[in-house]
Amino acid sequence: MSKSKNKIFTCYTSTECNSCKIIKKRKFTDGDIVFATAENCSECDGKMVITKIFGVAMD
Amino acid sequence: MEILGYNFDEFLAWVGEDTDTLMMLIWILPVIIFVFYGQRIQLMISSNEIKKDIGKLDEYTTSTKKDFLNYVKNNLTSKSDPSKKLDSFFDYFTIMPVDMDPNGIITKINHLIRSREDFIRLQINGMFSNLSSVELSKLQNLLEIVTTLQLFHKHTRHLYLTAKKQKNFPLILPLQMMIPFIMEEALALKDAMPAIKNGQPIGDGIGPMIVGQMMLGTTKESAAFETVWSKTTFEDRELFLMKAEGPNATVGRPGDGLEKIISIKKPDLVIMIDASLKLEGEDSASIAKGFGAAIGGIGTERFKIEEIATKNNIPILALVVKQSIHEAITLMTEDIANSAKTVKDELHQMIRENTTSGQSVLVIGVGNTIGVSQ
Repeated sequence: MSKSKNKIFTCYTSTECNSCKIIKKRKFTDGDIVFATAENCSECDGKMVITKIFGVAMD
Repeated sequence: MEILGYNFDEFLAWVGEDTDTLMMLIWILPVIIFVFYGQRIQLMISSNEIKKDIGKLDEYTTSTKKDFLNYVKNNLTSKSDPSKKLDSFFDYFTIMPVDMDPNGIITKINHLIRSREDFIRLQINGMFSNLSSVELSKLQNLLEIVTTLQLFHKHTRHLYLTAKKQKNFPLILPLQMMIPFIMEEALALKDAMPAIKNGQPIGDGIGPMIVGQMMLGTTKESAAFETVWSKTTFEDRELFLMKAEGPNATVGRPGDGLEKIISIKKPDLVIMIDASLKLEGEDSASIAKGFGAAIGGIGTERFKIEEIATKNNIPILALVVKQSIHEAITLMTEDIANSAKTVKDELHQMIRENTTSGQSVLVIGVGNTIGVSQ
């Protein structure tokens, strides 16, 4: 988490399943890299790929 | 009533007869004070504000330095205590080449900057065992942040103290004008530390992120130091894709990369995708199209790209994602990350409009590719 101008940013990782195309958002964990494969899909057991890593400002 | 032989009763009686005299005295006194001491009063007010900012700069420098050393101690295995050596790096300076005769200065600057990078890389590499290229690039970026903040603090303090010492008000004016911009950049640098330490993408990484996605499933080859390229097709056109090698915290060497690609096959068009500083009033993550080499930095890479493109008569188009300095070097915001799809659509449109079937296009994703692979 980073803090700036009274804003605290939380980092999220967005993943997409290669098979069923489901998109999921979770908190960033160490080692996450954009376009790297992540955990298996909970819906179809397909491979999830990290599509985005971004910060969301919390009030 | 007599004070020091002066009869105040007489004075008050005189004033009482004529209130205009009292008003005149009330007005004249500040005028006299401002005529003789105006500059000093202004200097006092301005310097108080600047002093507060210098205090903040000092705090930023100390905290980032501490953060950096803690990161090194907790995450890396060093052969000996690295604190002392790293501490000496913070004070390193660079003497820019003489510009009285500017002919050939770009080559000199390029050589100087690369020598500095190579030296720091070699020194850091020698200090730690089993250092991966990602960690090495992260350390270089973190070191750059601390060094820049220290430089900001030292220079601002120098100008402030000189003005105070010489009681020279005009000397503090340029500093007063520049300090909001310095503080904006300093805050951005301080806030960039967590993203770099955690290997998370920053706003500047939008270009490499778009090109990195297009590179998925293609065979990547080295184009230059820390720079990769690959080939793909789009609507009967040949696409060459180039970006810095992720997930390292690097911008690569797109100038050298372009030189290599040109030696293999000359593209008919070059499109550069980069983050660009937004103007006040512009929306973050808005997209703009234009002409010319979209690449920041000291100017050596841009010079090289422009020179190669001119020599080979290749048009250069630019696609930029607008953002503030803070957004560009800190954790990528959701809006910027979401703009990737729109930029990709715009890129495809640009390719369709500016090339014909059978032609080739080089797409360069410019920016720091930390946390973004390909």
